[in-house]
Amino acid sequence: MSQTDSHDDGHHGLMVKNKKLLMWLFLGSDCMFFGTLISTHLIYRKLYPEEFNPTQLFSLELTSFSTFILLMSSFLMALSVSAMHKGEMKSFRRNVIGVIFFGLIFLGCQVYEFAHFIHEGLTLDTGTFGSTFYLMTGTHGVHVAVGVFWLISMLFYSQSGKMEAHKNAIDVEIAGLYWHFVDIVWIVIFTVVYLIEFIV
Amino acid sequence: MSDSEHMSQEAVLKAENDRYYAFVNLALILAAVTGIELVLVYLPFPTTIIFTVLISLSLFKFIGVVAWFMHLIYDKLILTMAFGTGMVIAFGTYTALLFLLGGDMVAPQEIPGR
Repeated sequence: MSQTDSHDDGHHGLMVKNKKLLMWLFLGSDCMFFGTLISTHLIYRKLYPEEFNPTQLFSLELTSFSTFILLMSSFLMALSVSAMHKGEMKSFRRNVIGVIFFGLIFLGCQVYEFAHFIHEGLTLDTGTFGSTFYLMTGTHGVHVAVGVFWLISMLFYSQSGKMEAHKNAIDVEIAGLYWHFVDIVWIVIFTVVYLIEFIV
Repeated sequence: MSDSEHMSQEAVLKAENDRYYAFVNLALILAAVTGIELVLVYLPFPTTIIFTVLISLSLFKFIGVVAWFMHLIYDKLILTMAFGTGMVIAFGTYTALLFLLGGDMVAPQEIPGR
């Protein structure tokens, strides 16, 4: 395949689709972004351990449920991408609806959690813990919300009949990559921000 | 549809069907691991052991999602490198901050905002 052909086909010279390579590069940069937010929270927890005790406030059952929901949404997203590759549009739509539904449940849990925390006195102004906790989990929540909107728009596009399996499979794949990334960030947050608080 | 295209489509279907079982197994394992993590926190074991196990399980879940759900094991190495670079810098940031600010000697006495 000549260089011109490879570019027409949407491939990079390394035989990776340009969109996919760009998405992975974006996810790499987003890793640094979340890495900074999580690091800031952990460092301040180490510097001011007596400032706030979140174990009275955190509900591990609720957070574990949220984690389970997000993991299962990732599973459905993987099935959506697979269905798209196989050209099964109905299966793709069914799975994407499941992902959207689970994403909304996760957001609902987060809103409930934030409302409960604020009611109990943990706000953005509650020292370094409140600031770093809300900034980190809020940014993650915004990522989930963006993912939900992305998938809803994709669902509407598929309903319009303009979506074609062979042409748009890569678009579904990069949406899937974004969604899985949101999931892995939560896997880290769940352990280092929530679970660890109960054992140290 | 030509024979080669037909064969190619068959190969895609076979690969996707094989992956389906991998996805189902991984989803079940991830759900189980999340349950184990929740239980572990309440068990009366030494903190160091629980801490190590929790971090290991979290790493296992992370790698599981990245490798299978995000298809990294099926894709080109360049994608692993693109993502890995971000991961290394993110972890490096935490390590650097820990060395710079983690010591008791540099910890300010007053809590900001108080």
